[in-house]
Amino acid sequence: MNLTIDVTNKENVAYVVLSGEVDAFTAPKLKDALLPLTKEEGQTVEVDLHNVNYMDSTGLGVFISALKSTKEYNTELKLVQMQERVYRLFKITGLTEIMNIDSTVQGGMQ
Amino acid sequence: MSTLKLDLENYKELLQEYIKTQDEQALYQAEQFSKQSMQQNISPEEIINVHIQSLQELYPEMPDYIQASMNFLLETMISYGLAYQEHQSLREKQLELKSEISVAANMQKTLLSTVKPDVEEVDIGALSVPAKQMNGDYHHFVQDGKGSLGIAVADVIGKGVPAALCMSMIKYSMDSYPEMRMDPSVILGSLNRVVERNVDASMFITMFYGLYNSNTHTFSYSSAGHEPGFYYYSDRDEFEEIDVPGLVLGVSPETSYTQYQKKVEKGDMIILLTDGVTECRQGDRFIEQEEILHVIKQYSHLPAQETVENVYKHFERLQDFHLRDDFTLIILKRNV
Amino acid sequence: MDFQSCVNIKKEWDIVGARQLGRDIARKIGFGTVDQARIATAISELARNIYLYAGTGKVCFEALEDMNQKGIRILAIDSGPGIKELSQVMEDGFSTSGGLGAGLPGVKRLMDDFDITSEEGKGTEITVIKWLR
Repeated sequence: MNLTIDVTNKENVAYVVLSGEVDAFTAPKLKDALLPLTKEEGQTVEVDLHNVNYMDSTGLGVFISALKSTKEYNTELKLVQMQERVYRLFKITGLTEIMNIDSTVQGGMQ
Repeated sequence: MSTLKLDLENYKELLQEYIKTQDEQALYQAEQFSKQSMQQNISPEEIINVHIQSLQELYPEMPDYIQASMNFLLETMISYGLAYQEHQSLREKQLELKSEISVAANMQKTLLSTVKPDVEEVDIGALSVPAKQMNGDYHHFVQDGKGSLGIAVADVIGKGVPAALCMSMIKYSMDSYPEMRMDPSVILGSLNRVVERNVDASMFITMFYGLYNSNTHTFSYSSAGHEPGFYYYSDRDEFEEIDVPGLVLGVSPETSYTQYQKKVEKGDMIILLTDGVTECRQGDRFIEQEEILHVIKQYSHLPAQETVENVYKHFERLQDFHLRDDFTLIILKRNV
Repeated sequence: MDFQSCVNIKKEWDIVGARQLGRDIARKIGFGTVDQARIATAISELARNIYLYAGTGKVCFEALEDMNQKGIRILAIDSGPGIKELSQVMEDGFSTSGGLGAGLPGVKRLMDDFDITSEEGKGTEITVIKWLR
């Protein structure tokens, strides 16, 4: 399975639209695309996940390192439009408590 | 050198035989010749050279253009020969790596081994099966000799060697805790600081830690972002998800963990697992929670160890005997 | 070391020139068809490395003859960026992963002796020898 990563910049926001699966094979690619964005001071990185139907713990690891990087470089990370299955992963691991995740989740779950 | 010379004679005869008879027998021997050449690390351009020499000896009047075309072929095959030799050397290296990994896997087994305690009041079943050679799941039992039993179930991000290295670190830290300080929230808090300091930013560990007091039959537990287990109420024949909040280990150094407690009645079960169980796939479909509970229920009349083994066998078969992720399942059942 | 014959490598075409000169010398020394082909392939690899990574450099040839044996020595020299991790480029599977051919391990296999020195920012010097059997 593949992952496509689409990045557009508007003022101080980098919009990242993902589609596909984030797993051990695609995670390195995501990491290479995402981490540099979190290092540009004053920037908000908004990741749209509505086309991501599967994520495993390696994918979660990428978002954790991106979050750590935003703390270091004083930037923001925001995740929006998560599918229910993916949201469950962030919920179980406690990441919903420390990450900025848009509460409108696809699949009707809060 | 002498074997090659001998082979040249052999090849020449074979070639002559074939040109004369166009016989399948000669072709079969050609196949043997090519296999033998591979065993002796003879590269393709050398075989072509043997062919050219044989032709020259058999047909001294061979036209120049045939000779030139054969030389052309020989030049063309040089790079194939190199690629073949490289392939051979990489294959040897791969075998070397494989054997190193199996040594490491054995070391890990010894290092992470835990003895399932024999407690009169609680029937315990535990099973952990790695998807690859090395296990990224971990479970551990500790007894304090005063009726308390500590159970840790953990899962490291990713699989294979990196996950196993990380697990060894966890095991080492846990071994260094004094036995009287087995409070789940304290243990997770302290492990969190160890992991946060020692691993890469994208690495994390999930862990469930439970403490069963067999004098009072209470179960205290905390979770660091671990896949929720289940609690089975024997009186109302119902399962309930043990869904407790808590951040995974290694993300934020100031994290503290809340501790919960439950009174365990006779016949009740505590089911702990890793996502290798809940993320079983049948084809492209993930199995549902109800399905897992149904299978556990089906075997729950058996002793706990047999229950976990039967549940594993069920999902192993469902996934065509090919595990995608490490699989760990632990069941505690109050006996008396 | 006294090298009489050299070919400057500036463009891809020069690789062919280096092969031609090297093959002629190898033939005169008495190498057979297979070894000529191997020597030419090794020259290709060396010259192509110069062309791709250093831009310019040269490949030189020398016929060797002592009491016991004859052979050919080839020197490839450039003043390019140099190679930082020599052990890495000498590892199988490293250069070929980019589809660049046999790479230096290939050259080593084709020849009998192989020696390389490289300094970052200054350049690379590779000497190889093939003995006549």
